[in-house]
Amino acid sequence: MLLLPKFDYYEPREMSEALKLMSKMKTSAKIIAGGTDVLVNMKKGLISPKSLVNVARISELSDVEPSNGTISIGSGLIVEKLTEFDIIKKKLPILFKAARVLGSPLVRNRATIGGNIVTARPAADLPPALLAVDAKLKLVGAKSSREVSLDKFFIGPGQTVIKPTEILSRIIIKELPPFTGGDYIKLGHRNALEIAIVAVASRITLDSPDGVIKEARIILSAVAPKAIHAVSAEKALKGEKPTAKLFEKVAKLAAGDCAPITDIRGGAEYRRAMVAALTKKTLMNALNEAKGK
Amino acid sequence: MKEFNVINSRVPRVDARAKVTGDARYTADLSMPNMLYGALLQSPHAHAKILNIDTSAAKKLIGVKEVVTAKEASPIKFGLSPARYDEMMFCMEKVRYVGDEIAAVAAVDPDTAMEAISLIKVDYEELPAYFNIFDAMKEGAMLIHDDYPGNINAEVHQEFGNVEEAFKQCDYIRTDKFVNKKQDGAFIEPQACLANYDMDGNLILYSSTQAPHYVQRILSMVLNVPIGKVRVVKPYVGGGFGPKASASTLELTACFLSMKTGRPVKMVFNREQVFMHSRARHQFFHELTTGVKKDGTLVALKNTCYLDGGAYSSFGIATIYYAGSLLGAPYKLPNMKYDGYRVCTNTPTCGAQRGHGGVAARAAWEQQLDIIAEELKMDPVEFRLKNIMQRGDVTCNDFNMSSLGMKECLEAVRDGSEWGKKKGKLPKGKGIGVACGFFVSGAGYPIYRSDTFHSTAMIKLSEDGGTADLYTASAEIGQGSDTILSMIAAEAMGIRYENVKIHSGDTDFGVDLGAYSSRQTLMSGHAVKMAGEDVKRQVLGVLSNTLKIPIEDMDIKDGFIIFKKGNVDFSGLRSYYIKEHRGWTDQPAGDKLTFKEAARIAYLEKGVVVGGGAYKPGELGGKYKGATVGTSPAYGCSAQVVEVTVDMETGKITVDNMTDAHDCGFAINRTNVEGQMQGSLSMGLGEALFEEVKFDPNGKVANATLGEYRIPTALDMPNVKTIIVESDEPNGPFGAKEVGEGAIMPTIPAILNAVYDAVGVRINELPITSERIFMALKDKEKK
Repeated sequence: MLLLPKFDYYEPREMSEALKLMSKMKTSAKIIAGGTDVLVNMKKGLISPKSLVNVARISELSDVEPSNGTISIGSGLIVEKLTEFDIIKKKLPILFKAARVLGSPLVRNRATIGGNIVTARPAADLPPALLAVDAKLKLVGAKSSREVSLDKFFIGPGQTVIKPTEILSRIIIKELPPFTGGDYIKLGHRNALEIAIVAVASRITLDSPDGVIKEARIILSAVAPKAIHAVSAEKALKGEKPTAKLFEKVAKLAAGDCAPITDIRGGAEYRRAMVAALTKKTLMNALNEAKGK
Repeated sequence: MKEFNVINSRVPRVDARAKVTGDARYTADLSMPNMLYGALLQSPHAHAKILNIDTSAAKKLIGVKEVVTAKEASPIKFGLSPARYDEMMFCMEKVRYVGDEIAAVAAVDPDTAMEAISLIKVDYEELPAYFNIFDAMKEGAMLIHDDYPGNINAEVHQEFGNVEEAFKQCDYIRTDKFVNKKQDGAFIEPQACLANYDMDGNLILYSSTQAPHYVQRILSMVLNVPIGKVRVVKPYVGGGFGPKASASTLELTACFLSMKTGRPVKMVFNREQVFMHSRARHQFFHELTTGVKKDGTLVALKNTCYLDGGAYSSFGIATIYYAGSLLGAPYKLPNMKYDGYRVCTNTPTCGAQRGHGGVAARAAWEQQLDIIAEELKMDPVEFRLKNIMQRGDVTCNDFNMSSLGMKECLEAVRDGSEWGKKKGKLPKGKGIGVACGFFVSGAGYPIYRSDTFHSTAMIKLSEDGGTADLYTASAEIGQGSDTILSMIAAEAMGIRYENVKIHSGDTDFGVDLGAYSSRQTLMSGHAVKMAGEDVKRQVLGVLSNTLKIPIEDMDIKDGFIIFKKGNVDFSGLRSYYIKEHRGWTDQPAGDKLTFKEAARIAYLEKGVVVGGGAYKPGELGGKYKGATVGTSPAYGCSAQVVEVTVDMETGKITVDNMTDAHDCGFAINRTNVEGQMQGSLSMGLGEALFEEVKFDPNGKVANATLGEYRIPTALDMPNVKTIIVESDEPNGPFGAKEVGEGAIMPTIPAILNAVYDAVGVRINELPITSERIFMALKDKEKK
């Protein structure tokens, strides 16, 4: 059997207490919430923090707060709960879709939205959807706090700009403009408990139901060390009238925007082809949603 | 139609409550006072000489009670088939795969044991390692075992009829190749055991095993403990599927450490160790050549197979035979030739897994038969029906189909799936496929040469007559044998299911070869039925004396005595019982004499009311070399129709519907039969679409977790229509035969054939991942 190494355990009820602990212990401590990542890696011996600081009992981290045209989600909200909020289903359907395909019901009942972000796994399910809606992260320290765009957050696998003394407290998303649609498709081997072979999140905003594309984001996942924008594909969409032909062309550009590798889950050639296939599919679905279909 | 009170029903499993409430204790849940924890040191190299082992630092660690290596352990070799005993408890001179066992530690807790393992220093000299059969067979390749020249572990050459001559009569002949991947058993419960050797020299091993009997024999042989002093007990087991059907180093080590320390020793595999130990499905490279006449008559089959067996023999000698002998049937095929080669590689050892040896062969052939049907412009169902075997037919390799509902199964899935409305009429991307298969219902011979009974059973009635205690050494591993045997016992005695209390999985309870080769319903079932009938005879015998009624004028049904010639005055007997039974609450009432009363009277007369049964198959099958593998008292068979959707853009396959018909002879428990069918289909679906053990460049398993080794989830399983076919097997108890393994046979080829129907590409390599489909579609486009 796999055994957990020994560690000290803290369970603060207040954010201030958690921040105090982290500023004292810094890199020797690790924050834990659902534990679906931290505990597994500790059992495997990949990490061995001296202390764990559990933030799951801090109530202010587990709510969803709509205010002044933004939706602010507490980082400690478990993924299953995320899918139960009407506001998420209605205003951020792309995030709802991504949350629904994360892991399995067991994992979704433990894993948190914050954990899925800060662990910075290249194939994590929530970041592509959050990048597609231009999410911002609130990082809180003992003395100061800052807001960082999710676009600037990831450095590489397991690496982000968060400091050891900071805690991700909220995920903030501006309410999306009208005539916006999005979609997230994850291609895995199975229909549950999957890590993506390739995943794509697309989101477009039209200037009117039958107008041109005002804004577009295409996020490719599991084809680079972190979720990336399909840069040339996004550019090619802007100001254009959305058509199947355009999406076909853009899908090919997206395939060129990434640099997949061959690994245990799939070959590079297949992955590149799937980027094109999923880009097209997600754009078609996004368009339908934008038009209110 | 026969009338039954217990069997052929849907009574709940005897272990349902314990399992649902979490009350069921599995081996890893057990503990004993003063217990130590064992841990294994396993090789990080795939092939290396052991130059030196230094255990001094481990021995010094506080809390460590014993450290053992090959130096201390028994040098006696063991394995599965006596002809190929090639394993030792610990490696002596070299290691042969990543995971090969080198040393073990017993310590006061698991952490200390693990730490001690890390303190053992081994000097290795790495040797060339071979991770596939082609490298291992190359000229000049280093031998993995000195006894296997060319690294060929075993060869089989059989011919029935005359294949070359027969091909000359054929109008159409084609050759196809097929390869699967190494599997993992992926049972939920990793192997675990707890050994206790006491001061009187008794050795008890609690183990998560499918075959307590074989484990008992190997423990006795290797550890040199008289077999009468070795007891193997199987607690609840969370699945086996084949890999748990033999003794392992884990079990031997726990026993050895207990003998050295005089304390109980517990050992548990983690998931990675399960993958390294493996003993699961081999990799098979088949080349099949089949010849037919233009009217669709099957004439001849030539089958060549290379098996990647991994580091040791394990079940492999049986596997290599099965890879040949399980073709031919269920079709009339007069000529069949087989050449098999099992090759050793520096990878985990392969063994038996559900559908032992025949699953890849069946997938390859049923796909080829589909291609042939298409070439002949025949409907695949019609083509199969034209060649179908029926009850009483004997195969060219002397398998007697004493019952065979193959035709009924095929017709049932054809009609049940609305084949006629769908075949050839589905839109692109949607497809339908069919396949058949058969399997043994218990190996006709034990794995070692012996005239032993294969199963014994004993039933003892309680003093009050209310309970029948059934003792059997059979192994309930989740498949439901405890339920089936309790039902058979109840039916044979004429009492109610809830009045049978089963005690199983313990070598002290008798002899039973265990849960493998789909044998327990037929073989253990026979022994239990005999024991039940014996008890019934004894009770009626006493009753006959007491009431002065001939035995043949009485019967027992549903817990009551039946007087065939009308009412009998048993009031004297009842008052006697009530007097005897005073102080207890459950006094008999009503106008019928209960079994309980009769059994109490029998007890008062005899003191001990025990019935016994013992079963071994009679003379069976052919006399050629290897005839013992595949020969069985009966054969189960099944047919399946699978419907799929293939996403043409991603290659992703969705299995939409499965229709499965299985001939189990007679369903003792209908729900359990359907459960076995569903389980087989799920396992076959996983093997077809997802499962593959992968290795890193050093031969270490790269996906030794259930996260990266993918078995189907509930969301991957379609709705399954299960159809039970009952052909009344003359050699089975109440006409019953297997369902546990045979049902997996058609699953993979039915999926393959459905995928072809959907997208027009044939895949000759498992698993059929979306990537493999996509690439095949792309290749087809280019052409």
